[in-house]
Amino acid sequence: MSQTFTVGWLYPDLMNIYGDRGNILTLLKRAEWHGYEPRLVELQRGAAQMMDDVDVFFFGGGQDREQALVYDDLIEIKQEPLEAAVAKGSVVLAVCGGYQLLGHYYQTAEGERFPGIGLIDVRTEAGKKRFIGDVVVDASIEGVDPSTLVGFENHSGRTFLGVGARPLGRVRLGAGNNGTDGTEGCVQGGVVGTYLHGSLLPKNPHLADYLIRRALSRRGMGELVPLDDSTELAAHARILERAQQRAGER
Amino acid sequence: MTIRKVAAVWAGKGTGALSRISRRGGGTTLPGDVARAIDPRILTRLTGDLSQGSAVITGTNGKTTTARLLTWLLEGVGQRVVSNRAGANLIFGVTAATLSRAGADGRLRADWGVFEIDEASLPRAAGEVQPKATLVLNLFRDQLDRYGELESIAKKIERALAALPETAHVILNADDPRVAEIGLGLPNKPVWFGLDDPRVAGKQLPHAADARTCPRCGSSLVFEAVYVGHDGVYHCPNHDFARPAPDITATDIALDGFDSLAMTIRGTRVEMPLGGLYNCYNVLAAYATACSLGLDGGYIAERLRTFRAAFGRQERIDFRGRHLILVLSKNPAGFNETVRTAVDLAHATNFVIGLNDRKADGTDVSWIWDVDFEQLQNKARVVIPAGNRAYDLAVRLKYAGVAAEEPQTDPARALDLLIKTTNEGDTAHLLCTYTAMLDLRAELVRRGWAQPYWET
Ligand SMILES: [Zn+2]
Repeated sequence: MSQTFTVGWLYPDLMNIYGDRGNILTLLKRAEWHGYEPRLVELQRGAAQMMDDVDVFFFGGGQDREQALVYDDLIEIKQEPLEAAVAKGSVVLAVCGGYQLLGHYYQTAEGERFPGIGLIDVRTEAGKKRFIGDVVVDASIEGVDPSTLVGFENHSGRTFLGVGARPLGRVRLGAGNNGTDGTEGCVQGGVVGTYLHGSLLPKNPHLADYLIRRALSRRGMGELVPLDDSTELAAHARILERAQQRAGER
Repeated sequence: MTIRKVAAVWAGKGTGALSRISRRGGGTTLPGDVARAIDPRILTRLTGDLSQGSAVITGTNGKTTTARLLTWLLEGVGQRVVSNRAGANLIFGVTAATLSRAGADGRLRADWGVFEIDEASLPRAAGEVQPKATLVLNLFRDQLDRYGELESIAKKIERALAALPETAHVILNADDPRVAEIGLGLPNKPVWFGLDDPRVAGKQLPHAADARTCPRCGSSLVFEAVYVGHDGVYHCPNHDFARPAPDITATDIALDGFDSLAMTIRGTRVEMPLGGLYNCYNVLAAYATACSLGLDGGYIAERLRTFRAAFGRQERIDFRGRHLILVLSKNPAGFNETVRTAVDLAHATNFVIGLNDRKADGTDVSWIWDVDFEQLQNKARVVIPAGNRAYDLAVRLKYAGVAAEEPQTDPARALDLLIKTTNEGDTAHLLCTYTAMLDLRAELVRRGWAQPYWET
C-alpha cells in the first residue's frame, strides 16, 4: 500500500474563483505521479475534519459576497486547527483573497479594518486601480528550478510585508503585492501567499513540487523523483517569451 | 428630424462603407463611434423611428442564438427587423446596426429592433433604447478580468430592469439563482421561464457553478435538478429562497447531438435543427419573449423548424470530404455543455480546442481549470490544442488525463494537423473561444472552404 498525500481545500464551494481548482488538481495528480495515494479533504463551512492529517492546505480567492460568508467560520472553526497543523509542519498555499485573510487585516478605503487570522505577517489595504495582467516573478525560494514563476494577477488590494514574512519573489512583469516595492507574495515558514492565478501550480510544477516536498519532510520523507514536465514547462516558457516581447515593445 | 441626426447617420454610414471595403472585420462598430460623437442621442432617435419597438437580450451565454431566433420569428410574420450581428453587443455595435439600416434622410426604416446586449452595457442600452421586452438568459462567470465580479454585473442588471416603465415586459430565467434573485426584487412581476424534465437533469453542480448560496441567509442551496451550469431547480434549506414557479416551461425534452432538439412548450411540440440542452433554454426564452410581443404559439413552433444557426455558434463546414462542426465555447458553463453535447450526444472523437486570451475572449485563461475536460477521457481520439494559449490548454488536458496532440498556436498549422489526423468522411468538432474561432474561420475562408462572415 502506498502512503497517502492529503490536500485540504478550504471552502471549495465559496472560495474557488479564477480557476483555482487547477492548483488542487495539480497537487493531487503530482502526488499520485510521485507514488502517493492522493486524497482530497473538502473543508466546507462548519467542518474541521482531518485537518491534522492535511499535508497541503489550499485557500483560494472568492468574490466579496462569498468572502463575507466564510469570514466568521474561518475565525471560529478553522483558525485553531489550521495554526496547529502549520505549527506541526503542514504547508499552506493561499491565493489572492485567501492570502489577504491569512494576514493581520484588510483595511478598506474608508479606513475600516477587518482583522484576518494573522498567520502571516502581512497587511492589506484597499487600492483604487485594479492590477490585471500577466505576472513574471523571480522567485526567492531555494531549490526551485527554473527560478521564475508565471501567473495572472487580478486584485485591487495592496499587501505589505512585515519583518516576519519574506517575499515569494520580485516581479519582472506585473504589479505583485502592491505595485510599489517590487515584491510579490510571501513565504513564512510553510505558508506561501501570492496574488498569482493562472492557475498558478499547473504552469509552475517546480513550485508544486516544492510544496509537496516541504509537506512530506515533516513526515520524514520528501525525496521526489523528477517527473516529465515538458508540457508544463513549455507553457511556462511561452509566458516568459511573451513577457520578454512586451518588455521589448516598451 | 434634426440636422444633427442626419449628419450623424451620414458620417456613421460613410465609416461603415469604408471599413467594409478595407475588410477590417465587417464594419461592425466603428460607424457607431463616429455617429455617437456627432449626436450622443443618435440611438434613442433612431430606435424611436421603429414602428413597433425593441427587444433586448442579455446574459452570459446564448445571446446571439436567442437574438437570431427572435429575429427569425418576427421576420416570419413580415416584420422588418434590425439587429446587431457578429457579436457587436456594446452600445457602439447597437448604434452601428441601426445606422446601417437608416435611409439617406436619417430615418430608420424597420418595425422591430432585436438587440443582444453585453451584461455590463444593459443599463445604458435599456435607457437609450427603451425596450418593449427585456430578456435575461443567465449569469455565469465569464471574463472576470474585464467585468470584475458577477455581483457587480448582477447589480447593474437589477438597476436597469428596475428603471423600466411598468408596461415593459421582463422575461427571466427562473432556473438561474442569480437571475431569480434579481427578478424577485423587481417592483413588477416578470415572466419566468424554466426547464421541467428531470430525465435530462443532473444532480450534481459542476465545478464551474457560481451561484451556490442563498441570497437571504447565505446557506448553500440544495439542487433537485441541475440542467446547465448552476441553472436548475433549487431551494434554500431554510426555506427563505427558492426557484420561482415558471410561467412557461419546456417538458419532454429530446436531444440529438448538435443536430436537433425537441420539447413541449404550452402543449405544443417544438422541434428545432439546433442541439444541446443549453439551446433548449435559448429556444424557450425566445418563445416566451415572442409570446409577450404578441406572436402566436402555434406559429412560433411551426416557424422554428426551419431555423439556421448563428455564425460560429454551431456552423457546419465541409471540406475535402471531412465535416467540421464549429461551436463557440467561451466560458466554463458554455464549454462544459458543448463538450458534454459533443461527447455524449454526438459521439464526437476528433477535436480542435481553441483558446485565445485577447480582450474579447478574456485575458485571464484560468477558467479552463473549471471546465471538465475529463469528459474527453477515453472518448476523444484526436485532440488538437489551438489558439495563442494552446500551451495552457495542453497542460489542462494533461491533468484531465486526455492525450493531446502538439499545441498549435498558428491556425493554419492547426488545420493542417486536423486534415492529417481526420479521415475523409469523418467529423471533427472545433470548440473555440470567440477570437480563436475568428482566427480558424479566417483561415478556412482563406482556403476557400468557408464564406466571409458578413456575407453569410
Ligand atoms: Zn436561505
